[in-house]
Amino acid sequence: MIDLSIKALEVTFPGLATPALSIDEFRLAAGGKLAVTGASGSGKSTLVNILTGLERPRTGAVRWGGTDIASLSESRRDRWRGETIGLVMQDFYLFEGLSALDNILLPARLARAATAEMTERARELLRIVGLSRPEQKVETMSRGEMQRVAVARAVVRRPAVIIADEPTASLDSESGAQVADLIMTLAEREGSTLIVVSHDPALIGRFDKRIRLVGGRIAAETIEAAA
Amino acid sequence: MIRFILADLNRFRLGAFFIAAIVALAVALGVAVTLQERALRLGSARAAEKFDLIVGAAGSETQLVLSSVFLQPSALPLMPGKVLSDLEADPRVAWAAPIGFGDFFGSSPIVGTTTTLVKNISAGVSEGAVFAREGEAVIGADVMLPMGATVKPMHGTLGEGGHTHTELAYTVVGRLKPTGSAWDKAILVPIKAVWDIHGLGHHHDDGDADEHDHDHAAADQNAAKPAGTEMAEHHDGHDDHDEHDHHAIDPNEAINEQWQGELPGLPAVVVKPKSIADAYKLRQQYRKDATLAVFPAEVLTKLYATLGDVKKVLSAVAGGAQLLVGAALILVIVMHIGQRRKQIGALRAFGAPREAVFGIVWLELFGLVAAGVVAGIGLGYLAARVIAARLAADSGFHMPVSFAAEDGGALALLLLAAACLCLLPAIIAYRQPPASALRG
Ligand SMILES: Nc1ncnc2c1ncn2[C@@H]1O[C@H](COP(=O)(O)OP(=O)(O)OP(=O)(O)O)[C@@H](O)[C@H]1O
Ligand SMILES: [Mg+2]
Repeated sequence: MIDLSIKALEVTFPGLATPALSIDEFRLAAGGKLAVTGASGSGKSTLVNILTGLERPRTGAVRWGGTDIASLSESRRDRWRGETIGLVMQDFYLFEGLSALDNILLPARLARAATAEMTERARELLRIVGLSRPEQKVETMSRGEMQRVAVARAVVRRPAVIIADEPTASLDSESGAQVADLIMTLAEREGSTLIVVSHDPALIGRFDKRIRLVGGRIAAETIEAAA
Repeated sequence: MIRFILADLNRFRLGAFFIAAIVALAVALGVAVTLQERALRLGSARAAEKFDLIVGAAGSETQLVLSSVFLQPSALPLMPGKVLSDLEADPRVAWAAPIGFGDFFGSSPIVGTTTTLVKNISAGVSEGAVFAREGEAVIGADVMLPMGATVKPMHGTLGEGGHTHTELAYTVVGRLKPTGSAWDKAILVPIKAVWDIHGLGHHHDDGDADEHDHDHAAADQNAAKPAGTEMAEHHDGHDDHDEHDHHAIDPNEAINEQWQGELPGLPAVVVKPKSIADAYKLRQQYRKDATLAVFPAEVLTKLYATLGDVKKVLSAVAGGAQLLVGAALILVIVMHIGQRRKQIGALRAFGAPREAVFGIVWLELFGLVAAGVVAGIGLGYLAARVIAARLAADSGFHMPVSFAAEDGGALALLLLAAACLCLLPAIIAYRQPPASALRG
């Protein structure tokens, strides 16, 4: 469980007049839960890339639990991301030809971080997300099932932070609700900090802290009293 | 990692197969050229090793060697028979033996010679015995004839419009152990029989030079009857060709290799000198006037010098093919990596280190290429074997197809080059920024 602090962050792309993202100051407490909304092109995915260290911020600081990820080398950031961030994306990015179980464990194995205990945990997670056949090849699964495998993959290494970019956007409302439920429950159970980018009102409604991006800036920050 | 690579290869198995197959073909080409050239060199050196020195009539050195060592049919000029008796009497000579060609049985050349040569050319008989009578023959290891078979000599081969001799038919009495040379396909008979059949070397009282036209003009393989050679005397033969008034040859006549009288002209004499110094002296002595003396090994070396250039050209072609294949593959692979940017980006987004991405791409590619290289070596070896086997079936000339220690170095170099080439796509994948890959 780590907290997030953003200071004077500005992300510009060549050919773009205004910065794709510009955040003076933002904080999220450890274990906090945040929903990010905004129109298409408002900088949501850019924010996700910055927060996960997939993109290195050139100006400003992004600190996760005191670590300025801009100061990490590309390789160090890869390792840090593997250990710290669990990512769920709109496209599932499961690897065909591998079973559900192997898909969950693949990044950990490639990082040489997989253990027998983690394999056990992967099996348990498959049960939790409601999949009974760990050896089923992912290409034979429905979209909802695939996203549930992706959710299990995101949390298998017990990441301190779970980040999801439109996790329900490519699902029908029923499987979307199921996946949203799972993300919320698992983050709750592990005590992970959770950031979800979404257009889905049903999902957004479950967060008490929300920000809305407009043109790369935080236009509105809503904090509702805990229900 | 291995499991991921295997799953990935399985997904793209058709492409993977073609990559490996193309690599294999390119490698096989080079391997076959190398192996074949070496086999030819070793095989002919082995075939020539029994023939220290060959003396023949002045003419082409290469032709003399090809005709005597490889039994290649050709019209060798003849030298006086006296050369043989002189050589046999020479103190520097361990043994000397004549060889006479011209007749065939099927595709097997019938070679007239002496028991001395038969005993020296092979490690003895595997069945039966060496000929002892004029009508007996001993066959090379690859001649498909049973013991006791009858061999009717034909002058020239059928394809050349030769005709069958009726004067004498040989009986197979023995089979030689394999020599790995063209002599394995030969039928060896007493030289005396060859002379007799061709009406040479008889000194009869009524030597009235009854000009016997043997009707060889069309198929004369060995210019068997140079002007001035004493012609046979013809008894009344049993055959019905009245103009072919052959004298009868007694197949049961025991052979006598202590020559008497004047010997007929000979195409070649195989000489075993007593020492190397003797060999050089003999060669010098017989390189004068009407005779020619050669070391077959030396003549072959000269031939290889020419062949070496051919090999260089072939090797360059094979090398060029490999280079082109390598370049084309790298291009295809780099394009493929480009198409899979998203997947590679995703691997890193979910926590795989970029070093793992590098390792996957490199290992997957190198595995494919290495599999192709190994398959290519097998394929090339197989091709060389097939070519050698067909040649052996045609000529009896065996070419030992084998790998040498130096091939290990070449293989290592090839794999190293492949490993380096595979680095390029791996580096591209390694350096690819994950965020932009995931976008769009
Ligand atoms: N690599 C890049 N080069 C140039 N422009 C970029 C790049 N990446 C993002 N942008 C621009 O930055 C802006 C924000 O993009 P981003 O993907 O963050 O939007 P988004 O809020 O995720 O949109 P959506 O809801 O459609 O996913 C867009 O105008 C986009 O065109
Ligand atoms: Mg987006």
